[in-house]
Amino acid sequence: MQFIIGVIFFVVVIGVLDAQLPWPRSRAKKGVR
Amino acid sequence: MIAGHFGFAALVKSRERQAPLWALMLATVWLDIVFVPLFVAGVETITTVGRPGGYGAGIIHADYTHSLVGAIALSLVFGLAFGWRWGSRTAIVLGLVSFSHWVLDLLVHRADMPLFPGHDLNQPRFGFGLWRHPWTAASMELLLIVMGAWLYWRAACAITVEDDKARQRARLVSLLILIGGIVVLGLDVSGIGG
Repeated sequence: MQFIIGVIFFVVVIGVLDAQLPWPRSRAKKGVR
Repeated sequence: MIAGHFGFAALVKSRERQAPLWALMLATVWLDIVFVPLFVAGVETITTVGRPGGYGAGIIHADYTHSLVGAIALSLVFGLAFGWRWGSRTAIVLGLVSFSHWVLDLLVHRADMPLFPGHDLNQPRFGFGLWRHPWTAASMELLLIVMGAWLYWRAACAITVEDDKARQRARLVSLLILIGGIVVLGLDVSGIGG
């Protein structure tokens, strides 16, 4: 159960909040959006 | 080990800023995510020594997901799956973070990690057994969480110098990494939540 809580919290909650920060983006390959 | 892996992913984010944190967090527990359905199916199992459900009390028979060759293969799959979208550098970083799970587990597991996938092979098993000293293992996890949250905070502050709102969000995320890591570690050590 701790594992599932951890995955949801860190991947989803922290991941969504972090994605709103102005980090440099990975360069996508040409033609891939 | 659960929380320590997330701390390590936050630490990597501070150095590889182009890699999305959610993907790093997913990569760091990728081996365990694949382990879950195999565990449910009875292919991979856990037997306990000492208090059932206690921190570090498991001998984990994850002969596919946590064998050296299995971990390399799963990490390659993870890296390649993201590589087509985010480029080779991020793909390599994600693959290495995925494999870091095996390396960190090697420190704590009780010599239950084989080289090759498969139950029936008579092969050596590895693991330095830090779980025999639970407080040492938990302290190492706590150190990873604190280091990860701190280095993430420094990196996030560096990219939000001119934006107060973004800087506040950076502080919030750093704090949540720290608090969330400590809570998950606390649940793991105490056995609360199973």
